[in-house]
Amino acid sequence: MSLPLLVLALGFAVMGVIGMPVALAMLNSGVLYLLVSGQDLALAAEQILNGLFNSFVLLAVPLFIFAANVMTAGSISDRLLDFCTALVGRFRGGLAQVDILVSIVFSGMSGSAIADAAGTGKVAIEMMVKRGHYPAGFAAAVIAASATIGPIIPPSIPMVLYALVADTSVGYLFLGGVLPGLVMGGALMAVVAVSARRRGFGKGEAVPLRELPERTVRATPVLVLPVILLGGIYGGIVTPTEAAAVAALYAILLACVWYRSLSFKGLVQTFIDSARASAVVTLVVAGAFVFNYVVATEQVPELLAASLAGVDIPPSVFLLLVTVVFLLLGCFLDTTTLLLVLVPLLLPTLRQLGVDLVHFGVTITVNLMIGLITPPFGVLLFVVNGVTGIPLKSIIQEIWIFIAVLIAALVVMILVPETVLWLPRQFGYAG
Amino acid sequence: MIEGMLHRLQRGAELIGALLFAAMLAAFLLQIGSRYIFNAPIGWTQEASLLAYLWLVFWSAAFLVRERDHVCFSLLYDALGVGGRRLLALLGTVTTLMVTLIALPATADWVAFMKIDRTWDLRIPFDKVFAVYLLFMLGIAAQAAWRIRSLLRGGWRERV
Repeated sequence: MSLPLLVLALGFAVMGVIGMPVALAMLNSGVLYLLVSGQDLALAAEQILNGLFNSFVLLAVPLFIFAANVMTAGSISDRLLDFCTALVGRFRGGLAQVDILVSIVFSGMSGSAIADAAGTGKVAIEMMVKRGHYPAGFAAAVIAASATIGPIIPPSIPMVLYALVADTSVGYLFLGGVLPGLVMGGALMAVVAVSARRRGFGKGEAVPLRELPERTVRATPVLVLPVILLGGIYGGIVTPTEAAAVAALYAILLACVWYRSLSFKGLVQTFIDSARASAVVTLVVAGAFVFNYVVATEQVPELLAASLAGVDIPPSVFLLLVTVVFLLLGCFLDTTTLLLVLVPLLLPTLRQLGVDLVHFGVTITVNLMIGLITPPFGVLLFVVNGVTGIPLKSIIQEIWIFIAVLIAALVVMILVPETVLWLPRQFGYAG
Repeated sequence: MIEGMLHRLQRGAELIGALLFAAMLAAFLLQIGSRYIFNAPIGWTQEASLLAYLWLVFWSAAFLVRERDHVCFSLLYDALGVGGRRLLALLGTVTTLMVTLIALPATADWVAFMKIDRTWDLRIPFDKVFAVYLLFMLGIAAQAAWRIRSLLRGGWRERV
């Protein structure tokens, strides 16, 4: 390892550990690298600005953030709750099933797990705890666990970031997430069904079936959004990035015009909040551009790949190893950082082993989403705690079974690549 | 009075952020609309939305994003008492201030040099486009300086 590279790695580690913003730690250590290696200090800005200005696909990120924020501010997920209650509320443990179903549908229009938890959390908790007499911790755990489906079923913000670093197709990644997302939803529903029977949870209100058509009609404007998005992308009408803009416009129309649940003032505030959130994510991307420059100059991935070349391990074993490492790191580190800093280091090795990068992209996203609900630093646990006021301790007590089931689903996805790749292949993916 | 002025400046910065975001979205929608509804694709919309995005990101990062909005690993920070936190916060902000100021002259030179090139469609000189990065660096440095000052003054206990 060269001295400048050591300065970068150590600098980043130290600045990260003392609690500096990750993006600034990346930018600072990048500049220190340039300083020590005697290069032009403006190279950092050059990499960042040229990188951003040439990454059109990245525009999907702020737009998906905005669409999700509008849906949350306009309480659009509440309309979905109504519909899903009529559909599955009648079963034992029905309200928990309702929340999972809402998450599955909502994930078809939002690409963010946090938006999912924040959007459905409050109302769903009220329904479950007050009307359904669920233990509060269990209800909160269901909400956190089901929110992980958000970025798996398209659209997906992490997958856009992955596509950027791995140079893969956003469209095929999105398609690859559909079946795994449904598998995750099914697995969570199975856990709820078993727990409900064993622990004797109440049934939800049995909405008479004759009311179903009316509720369906009322929820239709929300329900068609996933259809528009996916149909638009795979009908070849819009690119995934453009679909993000369509989703944003549709969310505005729905919240401001159709349901009238978002005022002009609220809309302006949503723009401001989205600007802030987009800047935070993009700054980490900016730091990653600097890192990628260093990593390419110093040929780090090639060194890594070369050192692994002699070791004869089957790809599936390597993937499982990577999975374990990322699950552990996910307990402590943030998704965007892992995706933008560590994943690029692995890519040459993965290529060498012949691992399909769409398959890897989807499984690593699932992996990182599980990290969002793993104690002690699962962001979704904090979000649900913040939205509902249910103590972290009781959420954590109930979350383990959901984590276990999701990890089991992840292992299946890794060992049987067809679960991910079957659908993209139907649409012409050659991998 | 200074407080009130700062508050109004902050509000103004937020509204500019909102406007940049709205402009990015509008340019994008215009692009899709022009292609499908009017069947006459416009070339400059893609570039306009990228420009708005670039400005939006660095403008917001400089003037809208607060310390607590950032992604951090707060494992060590949270485990310490107020004294330790103050030390870490000082270490971090002093590093950021110094590194940013060291990189500023070279970066300003490069941005100024970029006037030799223009964007493809709107023909805007790149020094104007990239100038927002200098704003961002100044904003980051000012934020750091402000934080160092508040950490060294009385009442720092409430700010760590």
